[in-house]
Amino acid sequence: MRSCNSPVDGSPAGKVRGDDQKSCQPPARWWRPIWLGCAGLFLVFDPAMVLAQFRSSPVAPLLEEEHFKDGQSTRQVFAPVVTAVRGSVVSFELDGQRVALGTIVAADGLILTKASEITGGELTARLPDGALVEAVILAVAEESDVALVRVQAKGLKPVEWSVGDPGVGQWVVTAGQAFLPEAVGIISVPPRRILHRRALIGVQLDLPGGEGARITRVMDGYGAAAAGIRPEDLILAVNATPVSSGEDLMQRLREFRAGQTVTLRVQREDEEFDVDVAMLDAEPGGSPSRLSRQGRLNPLGGQVSARAEGFAQALQHDTVLEPWQCGGPLVDLDGRAIGLNIARAGRIASYALPAGLAQEILQWLMVEAGLEPIVSP
Amino acid sequence: MHNVVCHGTGNGYDSAPMIASVKVLPGQGSAGSAGFHPVRSWSLAILLAAATISSSLAGREPAEAALPDAPVKPLPVYPLVVPAAREDLPDALLRTVPVSVNDLRAIEAHVSSLAARVSPAVVAIRVGGASGSGVVVSADGLVLSVAHVGGYAEREVTFTFPDGRTARGVTLGSNHAMDSAVMRIIDPGPWPFAEVGDLRGVISGDWVLALGHPGGYQPERPVVVRLGRMIGYEGGLLRTDSTIISGDSGGPLFDMHGRVVGVHSRITDSPTANYHVPIGTYAETWERLAGGETWGQLPVPPRTWVGVSGVDHPEGIQLERIFENGPAFRAGLKSGDIVTKLNGMPVRSYATFLGAVTPALPGETITLGVKRADRELEVKLTVERRGSSRTR
Repeated sequence: MRSCNSPVDGSPAGKVRGDDQKSCQPPARWWRPIWLGCAGLFLVFDPAMVLAQFRSSPVAPLLEEEHFKDGQSTRQVFAPVVTAVRGSVVSFELDGQRVALGTIVAADGLILTKASEITGGELTARLPDGALVEAVILAVAEESDVALVRVQAKGLKPVEWSVGDPGVGQWVVTAGQAFLPEAVGIISVPPRRILHRRALIGVQLDLPGGEGARITRVMDGYGAAAAGIRPEDLILAVNATPVSSGEDLMQRLREFRAGQTVTLRVQREDEEFDVDVAMLDAEPGGSPSRLSRQGRLNPLGGQVSARAEGFAQALQHDTVLEPWQCGGPLVDLDGRAIGLNIARAGRIASYALPAGLAQEILQWLMVEAGLEPIVSP
Repeated sequence: MHNVVCHGTGNGYDSAPMIASVKVLPGQGSAGSAGFHPVRSWSLAILLAAATISSSLAGREPAEAALPDAPVKPLPVYPLVVPAAREDLPDALLRTVPVSVNDLRAIEAHVSSLAARVSPAVVAIRVGGASGSGVVVSADGLVLSVAHVGGYAEREVTFTFPDGRTARGVTLGSNHAMDSAVMRIIDPGPWPFAEVGDLRGVISGDWVLALGHPGGYQPERPVVVRLGRMIGYEGGLLRTDSTIISGDSGGPLFDMHGRVVGVHSRITDSPTANYHVPIGTYAETWERLAGGETWGQLPVPPRTWVGVSGVDHPEGIQLERIFENGPAFRAGLKSGDIVTKLNGMPVRSYATFLGAVTPALPGETITLGVKRADRELEVKLTVERRGSSRTR
């Protein structure tokens, strides 16, 4: 880990203090990261240059923040849009912490939301009328990261889904429970498949094989090393499915995302045993990073969702959301849901599952939960 | 999807007189691109402060694959600036804030058709190991981009259009002080192109569209469109709240007439701090840019600091280190203090704290809400030029 000296350089590793850092020795050239860290506070530009260079370009003075695209005054204009839909939005809390919004899909308390944000604690839902009620997860569609949740309530107002294709440039409004939207933006890219990046267990393999996949090298910091896998180990199976070669193993592992765990059947000399190995994301710098519940910090634009990739279809919009603002409806100017916010994906992008897909997932989840599918009126 | 043939007749480029000639520029390569290396070698802190937004950086390698010896060519002329009148825009776009949902609908209709109209001229660029974006501004393939993508003259470039077509080209000049650069397609056109505008009459609050290929070109993803408003000038660059990131570098910022008024250059931590090279600098330095000159260096930013490091904390951030003789030190902040507020606003993470302090000017006073043991304090401190208390 490079985190020993990083609290000052603004890197994500520096912001979440792990136990491993307590034993860190100050690096020899401690002054360097510190000096750089201070760069984080620098003003980037010298306003004096403005006048010097662009007398002919009168843009001054700076726009008031409330007039920004997502500023308070601008969001005010969207109030009537939100009025139409905020009765269909719940807010989820996990052990009292707000973690996601939810989209009401049936009057008797069925709600869709982002699955990966609502597990690991006591789940409650704040209903549109302000009541705080217990919430139970009925079923999860792992592929799209959508959960179907039940709350004990009657007479809720299901969201109205929009029909038709959303177009690039169209306003999209992320409604919460307040009078003003959580945030507003436009559609940046029509719906498309969002692949997930390849996750790694951190080994090198003998590609050809005959029976199993032979490990040639184990990389530090990844799941395989943490699980005690060693060079010369032979991997016989992934989640009980036999693998025939290194290539086969790689192929099999491609189906998993960072954050998931696979069970490998390992043969070492005369022993044979199972071991659980965590899949990690490979960072551009080559070091691994674990997707955590808190989400990862995108240093240039706030937090991204822990699960931000790997969707069968998602439309991309430029709304600046926090991870806990996902799970609720993304609506058009008529207050109809054109999608379900499913991820904050980076500085420029949020993803929403298109309305059609969200409804398909809902039907699937209903069956999965043993409920009668909702019949469209 | 974006099958609208490019708009932009009446540009006048073809009929304009060709003037001057290409200068011979031996050895321009290595000197000019030095200014951007900090990003590669200096870690995220610099990214927070002044990230240039290329996916990778213009290298220092010598001009690979220079064009064969060409006879002296006429210097390409600057595209005719298309005049535009604000009054031609829908009223909704001219208000400080839209006043009704009907205004929003008018903006939506305008923006949707504009995005479709200008997209075909936006290209993805590959130069050496660098990738970025650009915008074609003439039918025969002049391309505006940025210096941290182009680097220097006579480098081989591959352009990819939104419809998947590719074209070969070459870099012309780069001004590293402003981050402006010009390239040209050498394959025969005509190419879809966008109109070039000017910033006369552009005011804070004008709506703008940022297009480009964030994160690099992806075949299955069309040009990515983002909406924002003109915030103003900062440091000679246009600032908007239309978000951009790596790979967008060199992509166009359009005004609501569909004219290029800026070119994406850099960002800071805040999503509302996106910086674009103003179009005026291309016009003002056109002969040097089109002539293949490489010059300029990044201005050295004034280094303001507070003099702390910290980590995220449920109530804000917890300070770890207080640098001796720094502003925080002198204001009496202590390691272990929890900063809960900055100028009255809640502090949510160390990253947002840095982002919020970044725009402070040397000499500016900020007020921190601080929790120490069970006490709540208010601490005022003055950000200063880094080094001023240490050296001299």
